[in-house]
Amino acid sequence: MLSPERLALPDYEYLAQRHVLTYMEDAVCQLLENREDISQYGIARFFTEYFNSVCQGTHILFREFSFIQATPHNRASFLRAFWRCFRTVGKNGDLLTMREYHCLLQLLCPDFPLELTQKAARIVLMDDAMDCLMSFSDFLFAFQIQFYYSEFLDNVAVIYQDLLSGKNPNTVIVPTSSSGQHYQRPALGEAGMLEGVEASLFYQCLENLCDRHKYSCPPPALVKEILSNVQKLTFYGFLVALSKHHGINQALGALPDKGDLMHDPAMDEELDRLLAQVPGLVNATSEASCLPSRTSSRVGSPWRPLHHSRKVDTESDGSTEETDESET
Amino acid sequence: MIPGKYRSVSGRAANNVNCGLHLVIQTSTLPEKNKTEFRFSRDTSPFPGRLLQHDLERNYSSRQGIARDGRVISPSPRNKSSFISSTTNVTELYGLDMKTTTSSFSAFGDCSIQTPFKSRLRQGCHSAGPNVSGDHINLVSSSLPSFPILQRSSEEKSLYSDRLTLERQKLTVCPIIDGEEHLRLLNFQHNFITRIQNISNLQSLIFLDLYDNQIEEISGLSTLRSLRVLLLGKNRIKKISNLENLKNLDVLDLHGNQITKIENVNHLCDLRVLNLARNFLSHVDNLHGLDSLTELNLRHNQITFVRDVDNLPCLQRLFLSFNNISSFDSVSCLADSTSLSDITFDGNPLAQESWYKHTVLQNMTQLRQLDMKRVTEEERRVASVVAKKEEEKKRESQKQSLLKEKKRLTINNVARNWDLQQRVSNNAINADRKDCASPPRDSCQLDGSTTSSLPAETGSLDSGLTSALQGLSVTDTHLVEIEGDTLSLYGSGALECLDRNWSLQTAGMVTTISFTFIEFDEIVQVFPKLKIKFPNSLHLKFKETNLVMLQQFNALAQLRRVDQLTVDPQGNPVVNFTLWKYYVLFRLSHFSMQKINGTEVTQNDMIMAERLFGILAHVASSELPQYRMISILGDARRKQFRYLLETKGKKPGIASEENNDSKRVMGENTNRATLNYTTKEWHNEKLEEIKEKKKFCQMYVEDLVKEATDINMKNEALQKLWPQMFIELVRDAVIEIRNKNTYMKVCLQQITDQK
Repeated sequence: MLSPERLALPDYEYLAQRHVLTYMEDAVCQLLENREDISQYGIARFFTEYFNSVCQGTHILFREFSFIQATPHNRASFLRAFWRCFRTVGKNGDLLTMREYHCLLQLLCPDFPLELTQKAARIVLMDDAMDCLMSFSDFLFAFQIQFYYSEFLDNVAVIYQDLLSGKNPNTVIVPTSSSGQHYQRPALGEAGMLEGVEASLFYQCLENLCDRHKYSCPPPALVKEILSNVQKLTFYGFLVALSKHHGINQALGALPDKGDLMHDPAMDEELDRLLAQVPGLVNATSEASCLPSRTSSRVGSPWRPLHHSRKVDTESDGSTEETDESET
Repeated sequence: MIPGKYRSVSGRAANNVNCGLHLVIQTSTLPEKNKTEFRFSRDTSPFPGRLLQHDLERNYSSRQGIARDGRVISPSPRNKSSFISSTTNVTELYGLDMKTTTSSFSAFGDCSIQTPFKSRLRQGCHSAGPNVSGDHINLVSSSLPSFPILQRSSEEKSLYSDRLTLERQKLTVCPIIDGEEHLRLLNFQHNFITRIQNISNLQSLIFLDLYDNQIEEISGLSTLRSLRVLLLGKNRIKKISNLENLKNLDVLDLHGNQITKIENVNHLCDLRVLNLARNFLSHVDNLHGLDSLTELNLRHNQITFVRDVDNLPCLQRLFLSFNNISSFDSVSCLADSTSLSDITFDGNPLAQESWYKHTVLQNMTQLRQLDMKRVTEEERRVASVVAKKEEEKKRESQKQSLLKEKKRLTINNVARNWDLQQRVSNNAINADRKDCASPPRDSCQLDGSTTSSLPAETGSLDSGLTSALQGLSVTDTHLVEIEGDTLSLYGSGALECLDRNWSLQTAGMVTTISFTFIEFDEIVQVFPKLKIKFPNSLHLKFKETNLVMLQQFNALAQLRRVDQLTVDPQGNPVVNFTLWKYYVLFRLSHFSMQKINGTEVTQNDMIMAERLFGILAHVASSELPQYRMISILGDARRKQFRYLLETKGKKPGIASEENNDSKRVMGENTNRATLNYTTKEWHNEKLEEIKEKKKFCQMYVEDLVKEATDINMKNEALQKLWPQMFIELVRDAVIEIRNKNTYMKVCLQQITDQK
């Protein structure tokens, strides 16, 4: 906690910047809301639990969207929770539509806005194919970028538009979050064309933006790495590259590597335990062992091999041309 | 059959012709010995009841040996002694007693009648009528070549002054009958006459029998104003005509002709008997004016409907056997006749129906005989009971159809409103999307606009309705219907019905509840009521209910029991998701559902559901902080949960064996219970509430933090100053005590001063 930065700021601002205030407020708010219940088992206990859950990232479960997106930690926690809860859906191999993913998101956050899901889907899919099916991993990584760097991407979109239209992006005023909603995917003609914008110029602008930006942005070094490999690129090309970049995923720290996406032994163990309890299974223990093979016709293949085949799938499934072309 | 009636008729006729007749007809064309003798036996009245037969066809059939009922006419031993041929002839004569009493006759001639039973006839004649040997009728050829002239001997004339029988004379034309102006009865039975001629001078004729001839047209009768009985059976008449002057006609027999239509009889106000059996009538109509008609025989036609019978004030007997009547509606006018007491319908399609007797008896309460059988009180009673039931049924079915129509209209109306509402909300969403300044969805405003547009809509509908349906309040924007075990609700207004007091029986019977055209969020709000009012509901159906999200299924978990779930894809986009079924199975696993959308739930489905969403439940239950768990779970679950916590805490592992089952059940519940659904409105409300609290918390925390940081700052400043201050203090003290003596003096001085 006692990082040198701490001394650079007055206490209050420091706390605010580190979102400690957010959590304190929320904790008090929760306390207020459930004071009768909480007073029965101790306020100190409540605070302990609260901050523990914040540390574990379980505090965002079933919370309102405004809270979930309030801090980067919350966002990362939400991403992680989403992955953990619905990894099995991806593992099952079902390709789902944007709306279905949205429903899954809403299971964890009842008022999750459709817009965000749509934007994430737009990274994976072409504009005119919004009803297409996506693989779980494609969606998840795109969604991660879109959700975690939401404000940053809004700004990037504006910069990109300005660059395209030849304006000097340096004069751009940092857009407010509400104006970010205006951004539309560039007209089809532009997006379809290969040129896009000059990568180096684009990077300069982004670097500039990262410096000023108060929200979280991807590490500039990694952005540079992405942009240095190509001459020109489109906005969605950039987003796809971001979403596919391991480094950024690691920097974000919410999700495992793509290769390990379906891998969660602790949860698998838990799942096996749960499956053994499925009502209607009389000899749960004896049957549990043979279950996977019995249901394998539906699932496709036993767990381990499935994992590998899924990996191959995710490379091609649900990916559009754009995905391939920007694979760097 | 009321014999009495016949008797009165016959009695009158008998008076008119109450004497024997003996005449000899001589024709010049015939050789001398071609004498035909007609004998009239007066003493015979061999067919007492038989000729009361109103019905000729019966006689036909009996002659052919087809016994139809107990009153078949077959020559009885007594009859045998009289004349068989005449018997048959007479019986052809329709219902006239006078024939039987006065004019059973036999004809015999040396050459003219060479019938196989001639000898028998003769014998019969001789035995029966010994006194007729001298009778002679001479047919003399007239000066006109074509018409024979009939002359009777004066003695015959005096004997039978008023009657003349020319039966079986092979006459092809009517002979000219001279000097017989007083003739009252004339019989031309069984000849070959094609045209009625030469009788216009017989103006006192009362009885004219032309049975079994070849007459094609009724004619030459205009002068016979006193004619009362006209028998034209078994001829070739196609049309009823030229009866204008026969105003006194009492009996008109036209059976066995080719008549297709009843016409030109309306002036026969004295006609009592009309026989139109065995004609080609296709319907009965145009009967007005027949004010004295008591008997109407219409057997063996092709009648399909009967009208105008209610205009016959005296009609007592109506015979409609062997026609083509198939429904009572086509003879409904009979029900309006007050005089009708005897009717036959046998041989009609109508009579085959199971409802035939009841219907007829119920509609014609005045009936005494139906199809020759006396109508008993019992039958009448049964009929009235059956009819009452029928009527009730009819009324019920009418009501049903009315209700059905109403239902249809209401559903249409509800559907229209629903569509309207959907369109409005869609537009609003679109507008929202374009106009990002406005909040995401303003459902309250939406509701307002739709409800305000409703009255106008329904108003226009109302005016367009037909008068029959005007009684229905089709303005309803909702519909509640119970059909068997299904409760169907259409339109959001229908949800109010759950506030009603349902009878225990009805409520217990309902096992299926179907929702149509109702926003799912609205349905969710009535689930608690549903649970109480319809405890047995096992099957839920949703159609056009805007089910769009998986989480909406969470709401179903609060119900007591759901065995079947049917979500119609229409208006429920959620069904398009591949995962929806598994989610339902997973979330509602404590119901152990049997069917989803009509397909049986298999164990594989259950496993799949668990596989897909088990972790979600696990995460939700095991990783949710306790304070959140309590706030999410409803009050009802709270106790359970606390109990669970307590048992867990108090006896770790000890009670596990005992409580294992209950724990698992409850664990199952709690582990999914955290997945619940709050309607949008409620959620917004909650957010609003939270916002206030948040604002307060923000201020409170801000104040606290500021205070804390302030204190911290002061503390830090103190910490910074404190070492220096300490040093200063020590230095001051050291300086003070450096000169020991002066310090001591000062101290002592201070002490003394204090004293």
